[in-house]
Amino acid sequence: MRVLLVEDETDIREPLAEKLRKQGYTVDSAEDGAAGLFLGREYGIDVGIIDIGLPKMSGIELIRELRKLDKNFPILILTARGNWQDKVEGLEAGADDYLVKPFHVEELLARLNALLRRSGGWSQPVLTGGPVELDTRTQTVSLDGSPVELTAYEYKVLEYMMLHAGKVISKSDLTEHIYEQDWDRDSNTIEVFVRRLRKKLDPDERYKPIETLRGRGYRFALEP
Amino acid sequence: MGTAHTLSIHQRLLIAASLVLTAFLGLTGLALDKAFRSASEEAFQARLFSSVYALLAAAEEDEAGGLKMPDVLTDPRFNRPDSGLYAQVRAKSKGFFWQSPSSLGHSIGLQREMQPGESKIDRFKLDESTVMGLSFGVAWEDFQGRELHYVLMVAEDLKPLQEQVAAFRDTLFIWLGGAALLLLLVQGWVLRWGLRPLREVAQGLSDIESGSADQLLGDYPKELNRLTSNINSLIRHAQARQQRYRDSLGDLAHSLKTPLAVLQGISESDNEQGQTMRKALREQVDRMNQIVSHQLQRAAASGRTVLTQTVPVKPVVERIVGSLDKVYREKGIDWELDIVAGCDFPGDEGDLMELLGNLMENACKYGKDRVRVCAQRDRGLHISVEDNGSGIPPDQAEAVLRRGHRADQQQPGQGIGLSVAADITIAYGGRVEIGTGQELGGAVIHLYLPLP
Repeated sequence: MRVLLVEDETDIREPLAEKLRKQGYTVDSAEDGAAGLFLGREYGIDVGIIDIGLPKMSGIELIRELRKLDKNFPILILTARGNWQDKVEGLEAGADDYLVKPFHVEELLARLNALLRRSGGWSQPVLTGGPVELDTRTQTVSLDGSPVELTAYEYKVLEYMMLHAGKVISKSDLTEHIYEQDWDRDSNTIEVFVRRLRKKLDPDERYKPIETLRGRGYRFALEP
Repeated sequence: MGTAHTLSIHQRLLIAASLVLTAFLGLTGLALDKAFRSASEEAFQARLFSSVYALLAAAEEDEAGGLKMPDVLTDPRFNRPDSGLYAQVRAKSKGFFWQSPSSLGHSIGLQREMQPGESKIDRFKLDESTVMGLSFGVAWEDFQGRELHYVLMVAEDLKPLQEQVAAFRDTLFIWLGGAALLLLLVQGWVLRWGLRPLREVAQGLSDIESGSADQLLGDYPKELNRLTSNINSLIRHAQARQQRYRDSLGDLAHSLKTPLAVLQGISESDNEQGQTMRKALREQVDRMNQIVSHQLQRAAASGRTVLTQTVPVKPVVERIVGSLDKVYREKGIDWELDIVAGCDFPGDEGDLMELLGNLMENACKYGKDRVRVCAQRDRGLHISVEDNGSGIPPDQAEAVLRRGHRADQQQPGQGIGLSVAADITIAYGGRVEIGTGQELGGAVIHLYLPLP
């Protein structure tokens, strides 16, 4: 999952980006609104964390600009003042949730998780598809109730696919949403992850959870 | 109150009224004087005419049928020398000349050609005095049927007239001057009396400044009532705000003391159990954080201000509904809005947003899926927010409202939204009630705000 983090205070931005990376997110961070707009426009962002008080272009303006560009990824705003005028203004500009500073990282992660699920059409934190269950909170996967061990990248690929279940996902989509810098990754590695996932989730080749659409990409095919 | 450049209201009114009064009385005096003088002169001229006619009536015929004046005239003033009334008759053809005994010794040497029937009035100097004379031309037929032309002339000394006019003028100016003086005095008193409430306000304000009073006391006329009551509420507002700042500072200092003590204890303990320490540390930091944000929000609430515009409640509620719908999309809140038209909040929009935002978000958070927001006017503004959650037990209501004031009253995991809303309401001179909803069965928060 690719996160756009726009926050001008280095003391907040750097540790937060670190925590997000540890959680398996791909992070694009910017310290002002203009840089944030550039990243938001250029990359396939899944979710945004935007501080309201930003230099160069305020968070509210940044959100408006992104929405104008038809960037519809969910956005979480951070507000230091915590007053309702800011919150309402931010939400009306196109944000989807807010968090008042200072916050606990766990709270932020939970909100991000919820926003991502919501944008994929999931209302529960546990994503299901046939016998496969993926708990976004604990980042664990089980098959028919028994846990499945996945590497961080395998988990990322599966989570992205299940969040967008039923939709065609190209290899470059996956690369973009999973890797911080796509030029140092070969799209062949995606094929490797998908092959391993198939082996782990469907050792007997009964469910066929991930379909390959020649020349177009993959699709998570199991119904919840 | 006034500076060297600005005249006080009292001075302005006094100067303006005095000028108007002076101009009015001056013009009145002039008009009356002129009217009297011309009336007197007209009467004087009429008298001259009647004297001429009397003279003509007294004229007799001589042997040839020419004009002849009698020796004694009926008006004794013609006969008494220097009486002030003089007459002369002169024939156009040379020869005849008569003058009244009164004019003996004076030369009214008037040589004037007059057509019969023609008359002329003029003033001239006669020795020391000014006289006004009337010359009148007559035609007279003698026994031969010849027409003889005469000029009759009567002149009267103007002195009595002038004296009369002067006397009138003196009387007039004495009375007008007296009236002006009286009017000025009355006007001065009226102004003092009329402006007394303003002076009392000024006095009241300096009493407040010097600290001997804390309100504008006394009854004021209705034109000033709004001003004085606004000043009073401004003062009350400022005092309340000052009190709030003091309270906030006190609360802040008190409430930070406990967590600081705990933190100090943690830092000094040689307990190597990192996990417990971190947990304790975090709890205290949370508490401090909550205390700081609570006091910040309290400080930000501007409270009821004087002479501010009112904010319609409905659009603000709708904006917050729109925002909360996004945040609580998964809950799918079913809103019921019952906001009577004309419900206006008497204060700052930010404060209204803070009030409604906190209450409505709590309702979303603690209710199941239905929230009802009502606003109506009954004496004041009554806003209520109701949810279908499990409600607030009556014995905890007070604690919920006070939450956030002191750290030691706090329980972890509970928001301060309601106490912030309560603080704002109180700052506006209103009150908060917590109850059980009649409609949805959950908690209902009533706000009663007074309207100005």
